[in-house]
Amino acid sequence: MARFKWRRWRRWRRPLLLGSIAALAAVIVGAIVWVIHLDGVVTREFQGRHWSVPARVYAAPLELYAGAPVSADELEGALRSLHYRPGDLSSGPGVYRRHGGAFDVHARRVRFIDEMREPQWVSIRTDTGGITGMKQADGTDLPVFRLDPPVIGSVFPIHGEDRLVLAPDDVPPLLRSGIKLIEDRRFDEHPGVDVLGVMRALWANLRAGHVVQGGSTLTQQLVKNYFLSDEQTFGRKATEAVMAMRLESHVPKQEILVAYLNEVYLGQDGARAVHGFGLGSEYFFAKPLAELDPGELALLIGLVKGPSYYDPRKHPDRARARRDLVLQEFAAAHLIDAAASTRAIASPLNVRPPGGSYVPAYLDLVRRHLKRDYAEADLAAAGLSVYTSLDPRAQAAAERALTTNLKRLDAASRVRGSHLEGAVVVADPNSGDVVAVVGGREVGIDGFNRALDASRPIGSLVKPAVYLTALQTGRYNAATIIQDVPIELKLSDGSVWAPQNFEHETYGSVPMARALAESMNLATVRLGLDLGLPHVADTLQSLGLAARPTLNPSMLLGTVEMTPLEVVQVYTALANGGFRARLRAVQAVLDDRGRALKSFKVQVEAAAAPAAVYELDRMLTLVTTRGTGRGAANRLPKGTVVAGKTGTSSDTRDSWFAGFSGTYLAVVWVGYDDNRPTGLTGAAGALPVWIDTLAKLKSASFDPVPPELVEERWIDFSDGLETTPACSTDAVAVAVPTGTLLPRRTDCAAAAGSLPANPKASPGATMGDKIKTWFKNVVH
Amino acid sequence: MVQERRSLRLVALAAAALLLAGCPVPQPRPQAPGMPPLGTPAPELPPAARPPPGQPAPQPPAPPPLRRENHLSPATRSLVSQARAQMARGELDGASATLDRALRIEPNNPLLWIERGRLRLAENDARQAEGCGRKALALASGDHGTQGQAGRLLADALRSQGRNQEAQDVESRPFMH
Repeated sequence: MARFKWRRWRRWRRPLLLGSIAALAAVIVGAIVWVIHLDGVVTREFQGRHWSVPARVYAAPLELYAGAPVSADELEGALRSLHYRPGDLSSGPGVYRRHGGAFDVHARRVRFIDEMREPQWVSIRTDTGGITGMKQADGTDLPVFRLDPPVIGSVFPIHGEDRLVLAPDDVPPLLRSGIKLIEDRRFDEHPGVDVLGVMRALWANLRAGHVVQGGSTLTQQLVKNYFLSDEQTFGRKATEAVMAMRLESHVPKQEILVAYLNEVYLGQDGARAVHGFGLGSEYFFAKPLAELDPGELALLIGLVKGPSYYDPRKHPDRARARRDLVLQEFAAAHLIDAAASTRAIASPLNVRPPGGSYVPAYLDLVRRHLKRDYAEADLAAAGLSVYTSLDPRAQAAAERALTTNLKRLDAASRVRGSHLEGAVVVADPNSGDVVAVVGGREVGIDGFNRALDASRPIGSLVKPAVYLTALQTGRYNAATIIQDVPIELKLSDGSVWAPQNFEHETYGSVPMARALAESMNLATVRLGLDLGLPHVADTLQSLGLAARPTLNPSMLLGTVEMTPLEVVQVYTALANGGFRARLRAVQAVLDDRGRALKSFKVQVEAAAAPAAVYELDRMLTLVTTRGTGRGAANRLPKGTVVAGKTGTSSDTRDSWFAGFSGTYLAVVWVGYDDNRPTGLTGAAGALPVWIDTLAKLKSASFDPVPPELVEERWIDFSDGLETTPACSTDAVAVAVPTGTLLPRRTDCAAAAGSLPANPKASPGATMGDKIKTWFKNVVH
Repeated sequence: MVQERRSLRLVALAAAALLLAGCPVPQPRPQAPGMPPLGTPAPELPPAARPPPGQPAPQPPAPPPLRRENHLSPATRSLVSQARAQMARGELDGASATLDRALRIEPNNPLLWIERGRLRLAENDARQAEGCGRKALALASGDHGTQGQAGRLLADALRSQGRNQEAQDVESRPFMH
């Protein structure tokens, strides 16, 4: 048998040998090809890598200057929300010091739309009225200074990575040495794979009977995260090892380390995966990495081992034990001294609470705006910076006003299980900047965005367009008598339309100013029909209504449907002296190096005659003092003049208020999602939300510059006759074209020689004075 | 033709930048006609004709000025200087953002709208320059000097659009003389 075998062996020896050699050669060649392939992958992908960095969205920075209405407490609140902390200014940026109304701030390095601001020391003085002055470190006056633009979110893909990329210089030395100490002690020596480390880990695992140590180097971890899937197979392990070694042969150690620090996964925030130490620092501590103390760095470094197991928000005890272990290692390796380690171990975790101010409705507007110019992929990955007009103070004020009022209205409602909804949009009418968007009462969640998507009949919000049309003809003024008497119209479909006033009364002959202030339907329909529906539609379109409304008489009472955002667009021209400002949420987009890719300029166009708009606006201030919105002026800080209009759609399904002060234009809608009647007029539902929003914002009075050839006159609110406050208890001031002949009250001696006291004087000269008297009278 | 237009545009831009770099930021002129009442400390700068937003309207001064006059506050003046410097460097987007800041502080100051209009002309956006000119003109009511500046801006903006007759009409208005 044996001989037989031997003979067979002799016979097969040569071919077997040759075959083995050939096979071996094939394996070697294959291995070489494989290594070359992996080498190619590593060099190509790694050299040409760019991190997937979602666009970051910033709110408008708080502007400080002498006279800015920012109190000491508000300034401190703003600094706190930017995560500045009280302390010693010399300890670095991100610190402030307050003594009563005086502040010293060590401002961080931040990028604005137009410049990069280097770290800077600023002293700011305040008194009860706001900012009184500012100085730089060298004692020179600083006329204007802006705080950091707050981050309001990122545009990341669903289940996508979010990160803030660190440059090599951004990495604190303790992080550099600490991560090596904890994760890969022989990083500086090994060639990508640490054989000794693997053996040590194997031995430790064998002794423990389960996995207690990993033998992966930082390079392997990076390769795994960067190039490979998550499966744990031998083949993958081998690939990882080869790629790690190839990477080490091409890329310097320090670059690998920085890449690792940017790649590593540190936690999960809903749909957002938190990658890298830059974002990790912001996500857990809300400050830049450079400002972390040893304890905070130790916590982040400890997290690498198990981001969900050691999640400091969910498992603070585990996180704390892990942090303390890391700190002890730091001290043992002399990265920090023992005292510092003990101090850090005694300190709390300092992790900021989760969440924060999330503004989904505003981000929704930003995203829609950006989608016109950018592909979704660029927004999610290209590291863009998006600078928006959001004013966090206005946003907070609007959110609070809506939620508290809806709760109150629900409680008072007769509707069982009432769940009113609402929306608020606030804008700066002079620039068109949208400063706040609230899309519903659940302000913190992504949901139906009523501010942008709920198209509803606007009711009497349309009326200012009717009266503006009248004023622009030159045939009407605020004192012109119009008729509030019943009207029946045969429509084209044969039906009869008989509109009614809200209270089902008629008021007869009334001056235009009163008909608008008290929102009389019959007077408005008659006026609109006299003017002609096409002309009213023209006015609406020049004010900014996108689609021409159907020319039906009921359009005069606001059957046209608009979203709150569209109403804001139409009202900018009324709040801005006849100039329509195009609404703007995004001001600029910068690329990852801070270069401007796109800027969206303020766009202002003449939409209506300034004089006619001035006359109309004066009538709209009467709405808030004498008309359907009366009470608004009383509930705002004393002396604040505002103008606006209530709107109520048929059967009180929609409650609206649109109005403006000198600084803000705000539109509020309140109603049910299923379109049931609410039982609320515009004054009962939307107006309180509007008032609370504006009251919180310390808004300046609506105080337009009086145009030339317009003058102020006193008329009796009930009959429109020219009068004086001494003569009539119901005198209101209106603006009319200079020299307009007004019928006078004859039953009052004081009426003779009434205002204007000196009609010959230059209009510009006396106007200022007269306006002041007028505003005083409006206010008191 | 296109080439020619582009080079013209460049020349216009350079000219505008030079012009603006050369002209000083408007310094506040003394408030006409009277002096501040005795006993009041001399302010560092004459007060802006209109209060910045967020501040209560001041009590009527005595005696009242006969004419309105527009000034820049220290904050907006420094921003205008900065915007002009940015323009001179060709950073038009930056200048625009800087003027946005100024206008957020004093939205009703016609001098700032004139600045913005001049910038829009440099950006070759005559339509927007026209809007700024009209807005400035409306806000300058009662201030002859500012009306003149606004009128010149408006006329330039109209001419850039080939609307020469309208430009002449603006130039024949009384405040232009």
